[in-house]
Amino acid sequence: MTTTTDRPVQEASSTTPAPGGSPRLSDRGLAVAFISPALLLLLGMSVFPLLWALYLSFTDYSATRATGANFVGFDNYSLILGSSEVHKRALTTLIYVVGAVLLQTVLGFSIAYLISRRTRGRGALTTLFLVPMMLSPVVVGLFWKFMLDAQFGVINSMLGSLGFGQVEWLTRQRTALFSLIVVDTWQWTPFIMLIALAGLTAVPNYLYEAASIDRASEWFRFRHITLPMVWPLLLIAVMFRAIEAFRLFDLVYILTSGGPGVSTETLSFHVYKVAFLGFNTGTASAYGILMVLVVIVLAQFYLRYLNKLKEG
Amino acid sequence: MAISIDEAVPAPVTDDAPAARRRGGRARRVIEVVLLVALAVAMLFPVLWMVETSIKENRDVYAVPAKFFNFDFTLQHFKDVFVAQGGGRSDLSGSFLNSVIVAGASTILATVLGVPAAWAYSRFTLKAKKDQLFFILSTRFMPPVVVVIPIFLMYRELGLIDSKLGLILIYAAFNVPFTIWMMKGFVDEVPAEYEDAAMLDGYTRLQAFRKFTLPLLVPGIAATAVFALIFSWNEFVFAIFLTSSQEVRTAPPAIAGLIGGTTVDWGLVAASAVVFALPVLVFAFLVRKHLVAGVTLGAVRR
Amino acid sequence: MRYSKRAGLSSLPGRKVRLATAALLVATTFAACGGGGDDGDDDGGTPAAGGPKAPATVPELSDDPTTLSFVWFEWPPAQALEDFANAEYTKERPNVTIEVNTVPNANWHDAMFTQFAAQQTDFDIAILDSQHIGEAVTNGNILDITDFVNENIDVDAYDPYLLAAYGQYPQAETGQRDEDASLYGLPLLGDTWTMIYRKDLIGDEPPETWDEMIDTAQKCQDENPGVSGLAFHQANGSDAAAVTYNTVNGVYGGNLWNSADKQIEGVINDEAGQKAMDVLVNEMKPLTAKGSGNWFIDETNAAVAQGKACIAFQWIAAAGGLLDPAQSTLGTTEDEILDKLGFATLPTQDSDVVPLGGMGMHISAYVSESQQAEALNFMKWFEQEDIQKKWAAAGGVPSRTDAIQSPEFLEAGPFNQVYADSVARMRDMWNVPEYAKLIDIENTNVNAALNGAKSPEDALNDIAEQQQGVLDGGGGL
Repeated sequence: MTTTTDRPVQEASSTTPAPGGSPRLSDRGLAVAFISPALLLLLGMSVFPLLWALYLSFTDYSATRATGANFVGFDNYSLILGSSEVHKRALTTLIYVVGAVLLQTVLGFSIAYLISRRTRGRGALTTLFLVPMMLSPVVVGLFWKFMLDAQFGVINSMLGSLGFGQVEWLTRQRTALFSLIVVDTWQWTPFIMLIALAGLTAVPNYLYEAASIDRASEWFRFRHITLPMVWPLLLIAVMFRAIEAFRLFDLVYILTSGGPGVSTETLSFHVYKVAFLGFNTGTASAYGILMVLVVIVLAQFYLRYLNKLKEG
Repeated sequence: MAISIDEAVPAPVTDDAPAARRRGGRARRVIEVVLLVALAVAMLFPVLWMVETSIKENRDVYAVPAKFFNFDFTLQHFKDVFVAQGGGRSDLSGSFLNSVIVAGASTILATVLGVPAAWAYSRFTLKAKKDQLFFILSTRFMPPVVVVIPIFLMYRELGLIDSKLGLILIYAAFNVPFTIWMMKGFVDEVPAEYEDAAMLDGYTRLQAFRKFTLPLLVPGIAATAVFALIFSWNEFVFAIFLTSSQEVRTAPPAIAGLIGGTTVDWGLVAASAVVFALPVLVFAFLVRKHLVAGVTLGAVRR
Repeated sequence: MRYSKRAGLSSLPGRKVRLATAALLVATTFAACGGGGDDGDDDGGTPAAGGPKAPATVPELSDDPTTLSFVWFEWPPAQALEDFANAEYTKERPNVTIEVNTVPNANWHDAMFTQFAAQQTDFDIAILDSQHIGEAVTNGNILDITDFVNENIDVDAYDPYLLAAYGQYPQAETGQRDEDASLYGLPLLGDTWTMIYRKDLIGDEPPETWDEMIDTAQKCQDENPGVSGLAFHQANGSDAAAVTYNTVNGVYGGNLWNSADKQIEGVINDEAGQKAMDVLVNEMKPLTAKGSGNWFIDETNAAVAQGKACIAFQWIAAAGGLLDPAQSTLGTTEDEILDKLGFATLPTQDSDVVPLGGMGMHISAYVSESQQAEALNFMKWFEQEDIQKKWAAAGGVPSRTDAIQSPEFLEAGPFNQVYADSVARMRDMWNVPEYAKLIDIENTNVNAALNGAKSPEDALNDIAEQQQGVLDGGGGL
């Protein structure tokens, strides 16, 4: 696909000399003019701050104290990597990411599969299922907090009518983390569904037709035609979701504010505390840089694995 | 081979050709429908409950067991969203307005910057194009909580703290990578030959882009803009750390501020959530056909 | 599609490493050049500590239209202050409009201190919690108003500790004021906890000792199915769970720290402290509603208003909503509600202390001199006897003794007598610059103990160890 894009450029240069100089140059000028504003914005708003954070991460700088920034080498990094508090948050984050992404992948794919097998009303169904994804995490967090309230919440009320006792959704260690996973899954299952749906609908019909002629079983069709076609897309969706889940902040802030104790504090939430409670800007920057590194390195391995999968 | 842009959800993958080939076919279909309905109910129940709470009298909001049908109806909560207690405009409605300005401007900015860049990346051979594209995408990997610290320091030098412009810029910066990736997929779909033909007719490349390619991209732009809009409309982290005054505050922090006082008016929270969600839902509904195509194109074409 | 994807993926790794290396190089260069410039930005005329001094007298005021803005968190007193000041202050200064900006409670500290950090504030007067003073003073964020107070404020009209609590740094000893220490703020809204009890369920006479209170709650819970014995703050945000523990700690004769030696380890977790934690977790918590482990002000109010609690503890300034029939199931008029709800000072046990709440007014060091002048004038105006009485009548809680004892205040709310009776018994937390970290440590650990995520002993010992670490400098994350 990418290879074809080169052709028009060459063709253009050989056939239509546009006024005002070499077309090749004007193409180049056009490319620069079209791309550089976007890149400049990214350089200014993403790269520069990140480099600044990188610099601060080697200092003891504090945004509120007038002491300036003293170079402290890798002190911040060793402090973070050696801290058992950070290890605890890393484990919480890991459980959360794995649990949430797994759950929403299974659910999202199931919904997409079921929708793709309908003949009518698929557009409407898809749109309906997308609603949670469009809501603000603040709204989602607040409202689930209300629904999960042990005393007045509608969830416990329904469980009560079914004869179950009250469940402390947000105030027990296990259930609180589970609740976070459920809420995140509720909001982001549609995203996986959307991508899986695109993969499913891209499966060419002739493959199925061939399979029906061979009287292949449904399971065979699913296992050997559907899944292989959707799998790569699904894996990319999983990566996007995992990255998003890894940096989760707002839902924790609203739903549990890290509690009970610190048992639902994610890494992002912990960074926030380091940055804004103690205003240890240098340490928080190092913490953040480490998080970015983790994402990039893991994404790297993941992409390599995907690559191998494709080749193998 | 790509997914059709015009048809978000194309023809069903199951064919009915060897109909009733299996005796279990019908039963299976029923099970599938039941499952789908069950999942739809589970996914939509919270939304319905939110809408219901927004039209309930307060004393019914806290009722145990919950009242599903026989509650007292009121539109007072919706009035409270817009009208302050003593009359006049409520703070919340001001925040909604700020959200419209900030989300709207940042979406437009991201689109204006992103679409031409996507076109250029799609059409031209560029040095280290893949690196550039990966680099652009990777700027979205950063956790907002991390970026907010240096952005905060930078903004304080520039005097952009607690300003709409500051929010617009950071939201646009977060949306540009996504816009470029998604739009590049759409541009790839439009054959470059259209532009070549136009240039044979004497148009410059820029004119060819504007007159022939751009109109074909409009659905894609709309779909991309929806995603950009969703992000900037709903964003909370930057909003809460970079703004503080009523004049600048967007709706998400304002809604979050509805709890944590001395009493919680869940009816008001629900009503403001409903009002706040509506514009995005309407916009998304209008371009629903292009959403599926949009979200995948970026992912498929690397 | 397949081809392009494969090509794309396989080419990524090597290139990214190069990119990363380049980024690192750039960053190092940047770091080398950046150091000097950054230092330059920082001093900006701010003294190392102590903050700039306000003039001793109010400078000449401008007659141009002026907006005097405050920052507070979202709760009814904020609206009350804005309405009150716009109605009353404008009688003296018609060209001034008062604006009280509010942020969510959970974001209150961050919102103020990020603006202080930006050295540019959209508020003239910050309404700081008493414990925030140390941080603001050390960073030079607020004006030193010692001279101004000496010239303009009738300091003898106050309970010395109340005057010191919202303004003095270093912190005053409980119950006293150090007249040599500097003042950085003046009281805006006094506050303490009140005990709210159901007269119809436990009788008109409130329990007098803490143990008796627990027994009464237990009995009430047993007799009234569906009603919990107790409701109090347990959340891990703001200072919720921490204030609860501190209160019980005080009641059982404990201390939070030894301020002279900056010693927490061994003080907060001494025998009395252990006892307090044990009472809180093993005797009080079992009497609360299931799932109440994240309750703060509004949830506690809701439980009382819904008739779900026999005895509750609440900040007085936040108790007003309880009398609103629209939000209550206890009665259809205020009188009906008051037939059922009683308000009393906290029971005592081994010692007689109650938590100090409320906030003071502090002038931002980063606004223009004319705004600061207006702010000083406002504070001078606000601390007069008749204005304090009017503030009391408007729903505020004054700090001047004459206003506290005035009928205007005592008759304005059923809980105001509680406040008047509590003034002499108040105790505050540490107001050191590290306050935000200390409170977070205590909040999360007490919350963990209340919700079974940690044993009470471990939680208390962790608090002592971690807080000590913070006071000693560093102390991990």
